[in-house]
Amino acid sequence: MSRLLRLAAALAVLVVTLAGCAGANAGASSQTLKWGFNLPTSWDPVTSSTGNDINTISLVYASLTQLDEKGTARPGLAESWTYNADGTAVTFVLRPGLTFTDGTPLDADAVRQSLLRGKTQQNSLLKDQLATISDITADDPAHVTLHLAAPDYQVPNLLAGKTGAIVSPAAFTKDPGAIPTAPVGAGPFKFESFVPESKATLVKNPGYWDAGDVKIERLELTAGTDPTSVIAAVQSGALDVATITGRQVEQAKAAGLEVDVVDSFTVNQVDVHSGLAPLTDRRVVDALKYAVDRQAIIDVTNGGIGKVTYQPFPQGYVAYNPALDQAYAYDPTKAKAMLAAAGYAPGSLSLTVTVNSVAQSTAELVQQQLQAVGVNATIKVVPPGSSTWQQEVYLGRKAQFALDGTVGRESPVQNLGVVYGPQGLMNTSKEASPQFLAALDEVRRTPLEDTRYPQVLQNAVKLGVEMSPSFSLGTSPRIAVRNPRVSPLPHFLSQYRWEGVTVAAPGSRA
Amino acid sequence: MRPRLSSVLRHRVGAVSVTFLVLVAVLAVIGPWLAPYDPLQQNQDALLQGPSPDHLLGTDNLGRDELSRLLAGSRLSLLAALEAGVVGLVLGTVPGLLSVYLGRVFEWATLRVMDAFVTLPFLVFAVAMTALLGNGLTQAMLAVGILVSPAFYRVTRAAAFPVAGSQYVEAARLTGAPAWFVLARHVWPKVLPAVAVTTAATLGSSLVIVSSLTFLGIGIRPPEPTWGGMLATSLEYLFQRPTAPLAPALLVILTVGACNGLADTLRDVSGVRAPSLRKEKARAAA
Repeated sequence: MSRLLRLAAALAVLVVTLAGCAGANAGASSQTLKWGFNLPTSWDPVTSSTGNDINTISLVYASLTQLDEKGTARPGLAESWTYNADGTAVTFVLRPGLTFTDGTPLDADAVRQSLLRGKTQQNSLLKDQLATISDITADDPAHVTLHLAAPDYQVPNLLAGKTGAIVSPAAFTKDPGAIPTAPVGAGPFKFESFVPESKATLVKNPGYWDAGDVKIERLELTAGTDPTSVIAAVQSGALDVATITGRQVEQAKAAGLEVDVVDSFTVNQVDVHSGLAPLTDRRVVDALKYAVDRQAIIDVTNGGIGKVTYQPFPQGYVAYNPALDQAYAYDPTKAKAMLAAAGYAPGSLSLTVTVNSVAQSTAELVQQQLQAVGVNATIKVVPPGSSTWQQEVYLGRKAQFALDGTVGRESPVQNLGVVYGPQGLMNTSKEASPQFLAALDEVRRTPLEDTRYPQVLQNAVKLGVEMSPSFSLGTSPRIAVRNPRVSPLPHFLSQYRWEGVTVAAPGSRA
Repeated sequence: MRPRLSSVLRHRVGAVSVTFLVLVAVLAVIGPWLAPYDPLQQNQDALLQGPSPDHLLGTDNLGRDELSRLLAGSRLSLLAALEAGVVGLVLGTVPGLLSVYLGRVFEWATLRVMDAFVTLPFLVFAVAMTALLGNGLTQAMLAVGILVSPAFYRVTRAAAFPVAGSQYVEAARLTGAPAWFVLARHVWPKVLPAVAVTTAATLGSSLVIVSSLTFLGIGIRPPEPTWGGMLATSLEYLFQRPTAPLAPALLVILTVGACNGLADTLRDVSGVRAPSLRKEKARAAA
């Protein structure tokens, strides 16, 4: 009898387990997507410290505007906007019936409070970006007006990213310290759980203004996947989508996975500090621009994926200036001649190439290219860590020649400011010509709809490129590997976006 | 008993280990001259090539000859492990010996410092040290040496403690011999076998740590090759060159195995037993 009872109990356990498995599979076959990506430095847009965070922060927050595939500002939370006659105020009209995921209304006053927090909170990293806004008024629940310190038609672009991400005032009023780990926004997903340095789980927000386009019901964000095993992780189903390098494309395709190569704002560049000898001599700096073989870098370090560029924007974007197409084309003979003219015989010039620990191959390649024109380069590897690069390059400004890159910004003026502006993070020289600054001001004063806008913007780009000791190397497209059951990702220059992405049942194709 | 080379060589494991380590040491010294190519010379027409008569171990992602880099990398990898071992030896052995002689305050203080070192994770400490002092192999190995010093400290202290209370040491003291003389003449020879075993074992573990750190880009100054650095690069191109990690990985494994084999043999020939400080203290008290 007892044996029969034990058998019955074992069968019951088996049935329950199988039912559980069936349930789990049923869950997996619904629109659940597992994405391998870096967790943001903070889930609070006000304290997030890297541009790359927009990819994850935009999951939980919506902004007043958002960029389309080409990088142009389109309606987001705001369905439209209008400038006053002299461009010193812009009024956004909010969509009706918006709410945050905590149930509180997202109206003009909520927008005002959220943007003001970015301007005033002590540890805000958005103060510089929001400096152009002098005051914000909620005219009525649907209309919010941003009063500007000077004419600036870039505001709709500026607010399309982290800067314009709207946080629930109810949440940050109650406990501002909780937002970095428990965000409350009105984005496509609602925050469900978060394990620091490990993973975050988000579920679809039915109250999102564009919820109809979001097919994914549940998004699991996993961090820390080893780059060498990321393809195996997607192949095994541990992840559905992840970022890979150009070198891994062939491997991913051979594994039967899909690969999306998407043009992005990311441009690799060299931060040159013209305040550190021997780079104080402009002829030396210009010689270095001709000494670097950009195509070889793309071919060797990124499997040939990317395009040589001499400006901090990708081809096809409104700021891209075609006149710079051959600006500093690889010419070692010219570089040698320029160095000789500056009084440097081969082997008599030494400099340090600073690089982070994951880009050593690029540094070794550049070292050999510099050696070919008679420059002795020593490589300095900055140890891994979130703040070491900032301390060495951006804040410490100790690097003569740092291999860096910009992930771009929503506003081209903002990006030019970061790369070439006198206070720009990547402008380690902290110098900018008056002509460039005047050109930037003209861009701000030019409405985006004005037919002169592309020309005015591209003129500022040209001045920045020619003025700056720093120089661009090449574009770095966003390369995503995905399980075939995930439909192709939409192509946006600015960031990963998930509108329209579907996930088929395991074993089938999207 | 003091370990002698002849005794070590009489053991099969010891003989194989010593032979291998001597071979690696010779390679470290003359390797750069044996290298068929300049280990730093890049060749973009020969990227990620498999083994061939021209390149016996193939080429890396920048077209450099793998065999030449492996030979050149031996010196740096071994020197780094040695540096960590020597730093650990000095920082552990000296206070370990002195803690038996300099009274309770010194003993208490050094024990607490060593306890603190034991709690520190290697990687985090090495990253912190290189961020503070600069990202060089010397700085990274200083960090590693500091963190392996507790092993030397404990072994030395445990071996020195029973000797310090022995009658002949008492007699030497009573004859007016200075402390340094007693330590050098009577205590150190008894401690040496245990320290030798620990040194051999620590060199092996230091090599693993060195390889791990250079694998992560810590302590490395490109383009200088190291075994760990080569392993890291080859793993990035595993799809294109699946066999590339074998050579550096095998060298690390065999060298660490030889160090451990030597440590085991030294232990056997010198009669060193795992010391128990508690038992020795109890015996001394009795």
